[in-house]
Amino acid sequence: MEVQQGGAPAPAAELVVSLREFTLSDADAEAFMSWASDPRVVRFQRRDAYEHVDQARRYIADHVLPHPWYRAICAGAGAPLPVVGSISVKPGPAEDGRLFRASVGYRVAHAHWGRGVATRAVRAAAEAVFAAWPWLLRLEAVADVENPASQRVLEKAGFVREGVLRKYILLKGRPRDMVMFSIVVDADTDRRRQQNKPDGP
Amino acid sequence: MEQEAPAQPGSVPAVTLRRFELADVDAMMEWASDPEVTAFMTWDAYTSREAVLAFLRDAVLPHPWFRAVCLGGVGDGHGPHRPVGAVSVTPTDDACRAELCVLLARAHWGKGVATAAVKRAVAAAFGDLLGVERVEAVVDVDHAAARRVLEKAGFQREAVLRSYCVVKGRVRDMVVYSVISTDPLVE
Repeated sequence: MEVQQGGAPAPAAELVVSLREFTLSDADAEAFMSWASDPRVVRFQRRDAYEHVDQARRYIADHVLPHPWYRAICAGAGAPLPVVGSISVKPGPAEDGRLFRASVGYRVAHAHWGRGVATRAVRAAAEAVFAAWPWLLRLEAVADVENPASQRVLEKAGFVREGVLRKYILLKGRPRDMVMFSIVVDADTDRRRQQNKPDGP
Repeated sequence: MEQEAPAQPGSVPAVTLRRFELADVDAMMEWASDPEVTAFMTWDAYTSREAVLAFLRDAVLPHPWFRAVCLGGVGDGHGPHRPVGAVSVTPTDDACRAELCVLLARAHWGKGVATAAVKRAVAAAFGDLLGVERVEAVVDVDHAAARRVLEKAGFQREAVLRSYCVVKGRVRDMVVYSVISTDPLVE
């Protein structure tokens, strides 16, 4: 049972969250706009809010489709499940040509906050990339110090909080303090890989 | 990198930083070819003067902030301008953040030279590198001497980043340290 941000138990109906690749469809571009145009979501991203669906269309074509690992987060009810966010995992940086690290970022439309969507999506993405990339030893993520909801998502998704990195990333022209999280092989994932059931809340 | 002796009054070394020249290749060989110096580096000790010359020409001279560490003291057997090490501050993809690296020839370990070089480098780089507000350094968890240098130079320890670097084929946990442009200067 998922626990909402406020600590109250989620409704009895099971929340279904799945990941799929994006397409060049109008529907995907419009869904993309539901978070990419929202200042509440974009607040903790480098990019400014989009104002026109053409920006989303272009971004999907130029950045999302060629990306090593970029997925639409689908959640809710209906078939097909509506797209409510996106999650991406970027390999690197490489050292001496060797890849062993990657970083994950995600965004969920505001209307779908507080129901465990992001937690499930991050968990699913972590399991997928550790399975798909045998070279992966460290999966990391950062969350703004002023974004406790995102910090909780990462913790619930199994990431270990490592510390606060001061003035680490430039967000909309301002250096931000970020909390660094990671999952590393052997320490964290071997246990998870042996479980038969998905993690509880 | 360095075994720091306890600080003694009046023993702070006079350290100056200057730009490298191709003529510094032989001085650079002294630390770049020393496996004990490069033990915690991600790269292997250099074995040829030509390779060090190429590194100077292609990586050091065009670098936004790379300096030779020189001793101003007398009686050390070297001229006042012969480098005994190198310190660099490298901007990252985020314009507010740059990474510091310092290397010293083994003959000059344990005298506070690295600490003095780091202090000078940080003060100068904040002024020279536009937009940089954070200078960070990542250090192997087992590299106690390097961690002491950073701490004495006023860096703040922030976190252990697990499985963060590959050094000589082994994945290592690294401690990340930082100094922010608004941090008080360390005397």
